[in-house]
Amino acid sequence: MKRPILILVLCGLASAASAQQPGTPAATVIAVPPLTSPDSGNKGNAMLAVGWEATQLIASDLRQTAEVMPLSSSRDDYYSYPEVTAPTFSKWRSAGAKALVTGFVQSRSDGRLTVGCYVYDVEKGRELARKGFVIGPSDWRRAAHKCSGLAYTAITGAPGMFDTRIAYVAETGVGDGRTRRIAVMDSDGYNHKYLTAGDGIVLTPRLAPKGRKLAYVSFAGGKPSVRILDLDSSQDRPLVPIDAISFAPRYSPDGSQIAFSMMLGPNSDIYVVNAGGGMPRRLTTSPGVDTAPSFSPDGSKIVFESDRGGFQQLYVMNADGSGQRRVSFGGGRYASPQWSPDGAWIAFTRRGQDGRRIGILKADGTGEQMLTSGPSDEAPSWSASSRDILFQRVSAEGRSGLYRVALDGSAPRPMTIPQDGSDPDWSGVMD
Amino acid sequence: MRKTILFLGLMLIPGPASAQFRIPLLAPRPTPQQQPVLQGIDALRADFAAQSGGTTVYYGAESVVLGAPSRTVLAAQAAWLRRHPEVVVRVEGYGDAGDTSDHAIAVGARRAEEARDVLILMGVPAAQLSTTSWGKERPGLGRAVTILVR
Repeated sequence: MKRPILILVLCGLASAASAQQPGTPAATVIAVPPLTSPDSGNKGNAMLAVGWEATQLIASDLRQTAEVMPLSSSRDDYYSYPEVTAPTFSKWRSAGAKALVTGFVQSRSDGRLTVGCYVYDVEKGRELARKGFVIGPSDWRRAAHKCSGLAYTAITGAPGMFDTRIAYVAETGVGDGRTRRIAVMDSDGYNHKYLTAGDGIVLTPRLAPKGRKLAYVSFAGGKPSVRILDLDSSQDRPLVPIDAISFAPRYSPDGSQIAFSMMLGPNSDIYVVNAGGGMPRRLTTSPGVDTAPSFSPDGSKIVFESDRGGFQQLYVMNADGSGQRRVSFGGGRYASPQWSPDGAWIAFTRRGQDGRRIGILKADGTGEQMLTSGPSDEAPSWSASSRDILFQRVSAEGRSGLYRVALDGSAPRPMTIPQDGSDPDWSGVMD
Repeated sequence: MRKTILFLGLMLIPGPASAQFRIPLLAPRPTPQQQPVLQGIDALRADFAAQSGGTTVYYGAESVVLGAPSRTVLAAQAAWLRRHPEVVVRVEGYGDAGDTSDHAIAVGARRAEEARDVLILMGVPAAQLSTTSWGKERPGLGRAVTILVR
């Protein structure tokens, strides 16, 4: 019985390997046997059932990455509890795995569950990481996402982006009758929720770093203005008590500040205000449109777009507005920049003869590369891992959807959402 | 078969009609001379549009500069607004459909400000004018400013 399974697994590997882009490093193959349980009897069976659900989710999480390739797991591959901390490495080596993620689900006397997660280097035969989570019985998805993140980080060194949330604008209907609501969901599409009622145009939802608050633009008051929505209390307030057009909000990495654009007269300038309110401080003064500010991950700098030189280009300044300098010099217009969480890249939308496309460049302006072919792409948003970008694409038929593209040059993939969507915002890893 | 259906139909109609309704013989057909009578804000809006030659002025791509035809429309609008000092209007600017959304908000607002400035130079009191921008969020108009009687 074992042999046919082994052959199937090897076949799967070969096709995965040939699907790799030439020149990109091969993905690390990881074994994901079913999570086991130290419990016995009915309780043990229930825990094994939860463990199997979690196992499938971990494999599905890792399969979405460009760097890690999970072996297909089978429920019939019963994995014993002692094996969690003492794996039979030779078995996984012969299956072709370079890494192993395993663990257990145990019921607690208070009704909650303990989930243990272990990651091993199969070749060297040593443990890379371990983590335990105590969770409510319905929270197994989050524990599985955390476990996927533990394995991803152990292998790549980058933060796992599985236990993250995505905010976006959900759109239904056509023309001026189009209804737009801000929605949030887990990054795998689960726990989808609408946050606004759909009685006006809304734009650019931006989650605060802890994900408990959200800044967005509403046209409900007759002109676009930034509002702050508290996701716990549902309280909704204007960011600044000023009757002016304001837009393009973005939280600082520590959540204490919000950078945004405001127009007092015909000039759009960039301001910063304490996230809790107060008087905004003006950072730019040039005539023309300065907008779309985004903080560097250490909070010391801000990248933004400005048409002060005639057409939109990207500029970087210190967080107090000093030291403004241009960093984009290619053909076309550069807009909607966002700094990657690891600080290495700035994603942007470039407008040119070939339409709007998503690209990246380094903070010093070098290393520019385009990731999508357009022609109606915009609004890039980084994953927590800094290896993927979520963006908005309008199809030839005028349908707006969310797409995800990896930095390895592979083709963008659509995200499944219940209706049309735009303006995605991908959060950092949740606590 | 056909007879049966007709019979059923006749049976059904008199029921509700005799209970509650008087069926009108014929709705009065409006004669061509009779325009629908507009009142209140709709009348003001219609008059403004008719007398000014339009509520919308257009810009070139990526431009916030008004051309001569647009200034002609704005001059007629300004004259109307001076005759109606009690009327407040909102100047609504639109961005380019191919733009990115943040920049389009700013461009729409600049177009609205430009049209507002022209109206003020033509003698319209600033108190009669407010401005806003729709960015590229209401497709169809693009590169325009509409002046909405409020």
